[in-house]
Amino acid sequence: MGNNFETYIQKLELIGFFAGYAIVYALVHFIKGEQRKKTSSFINCLPKLLPYAYALTGTLFLGMVLKNISIDLSLQNIVEQFQNPYLKIWGLLSVLFWIPALSKKPVYSLFHSLVFFFLLIKDFWMLITSSIDSEIIKNDMKVYTDSLLLNTANLACIAILWFVMSKIRESRKTSSD
Amino acid sequence: MKLFNNKTLLALLVLISGYGYIAGCTHENDILPAPATTTAVINRGSAILLPGNMVVGDTTQWKLDKAHSSVLWQTNYVGAAGLLTGRFNQFGMHNVTDAEMQNYVTTGQPLMDTSWAFYESDPAKTYFNGYVQINQSNTGEPARDGGCNISGLGTVPIVAGTQNLTVTNLAKIKTTKIELDPLSEDYIVTLNLTWQGKLAQPLTESLVGRLKYIKRATVNAGTASAYDVFGLQLTFQFDCRDYGITSTSISDNVQIECNMNFNNK
Repeated sequence: MGNNFETYIQKLELIGFFAGYAIVYALVHFIKGEQRKKTSSFINCLPKLLPYAYALTGTLFLGMVLKNISIDLSLQNIVEQFQNPYLKIWGLLSVLFWIPALSKKPVYSLFHSLVFFFLLIKDFWMLITSSIDSEIIKNDMKVYTDSLLLNTANLACIAILWFVMSKIRESRKTSSD
Repeated sequence: MKLFNNKTLLALLVLISGYGYIAGCTHENDILPAPATTTAVINRGSAILLPGNMVVGDTTQWKLDKAHSSVLWQTNYVGAAGLLTGRFNQFGMHNVTDAEMQNYVTTGQPLMDTSWAFYESDPAKTYFNGYVQINQSNTGEPARDGGCNISGLGTVPIVAGTQNLTVTNLAKIKTTKIELDPLSEDYIVTLNLTWQGKLAQPLTESLVGRLKYIKRATVNAGTASAYDVFGLQLTFQFDCRDYGITSTSISDNVQIECNMNFNNK
């Protein structure tokens, strides 16, 4: 398979990091929409944390890319690490969601991740047109499941961090008063 | 996004993901169901099939249908190449005693084929005897059958109209023990093969073979000419060098297959 296999593996990596974010995003907004009626507080804060959770995913992805490059700093290895250069760079851009100005619009993070979700849809279409067999889809869905878990875990981490920081801030405010 | 849009987005993503999970489900990781049984399924009947005196028209007495039976042999040509095969044109199911070892001037069966009994579920009672006339080996090559085969097997040429059951031309088998095969519907047969070959005296060796019973069935069922048939197939092998056969054209190991068909006409 040669480079084709490497390209396929790197595509799976991208799906594994980013494709699951869209459904987490939609689920959080759906729950928030339901909770708004009950005027819940914590859940209502989750949507604004989503871009940061996505940025955390991007940071982990960046860490993986740097780790793979650091194994062999030759130009050839760097080129090999970017078999899907545009997609990979697009994935790395997700770290920009650490910037508050960009995070103010969570929907941008959704649009960003949908690019990777479309990779799945593309494979589904190829299955329908018999260009690939169901083994490819089986692989995709295994990685997609991992992506769901990763993005859920990242959101949970950010939420816990946000909760702890807000408590610290509150206590400081109280002590200064 | 508005709530409606979020619901739509969620539903869409769930539907697409659901399709992926269903399409990617190949069931390859499924654990195979346990086999219904780990032992062979053996269905033996209780047929008792006996020759009696081979009275024609007596449907309880079973007759060897020689015309539709055969005794076949095969061995590797020059010990390594493809199979050399042949059949014996003259054979029977009779326990040929010393007194009966002689020439019979007849073209039919010289002795009655009555030295056998078959009990489907009671092999201890089953037995059979059989014989072949060595010079009646037929490979389809007359020059060989009437030439080197005669000298190579230590026998004498065929005399037209005569059935030669003399000691030099007779190979016979006699069962000594028949058991049920625990792994199939077959039977494990221990038998004695007696043949002089190129030795000075006949040699008897104990061999083990396999007997297959082809179940009784009715021919022309529902008509006045209906009759029943069944079959016995015996396979075994022996080392022809034990019997003094030195021909390098054939391998040590000779395989024998006896296909005996019976009817009750």
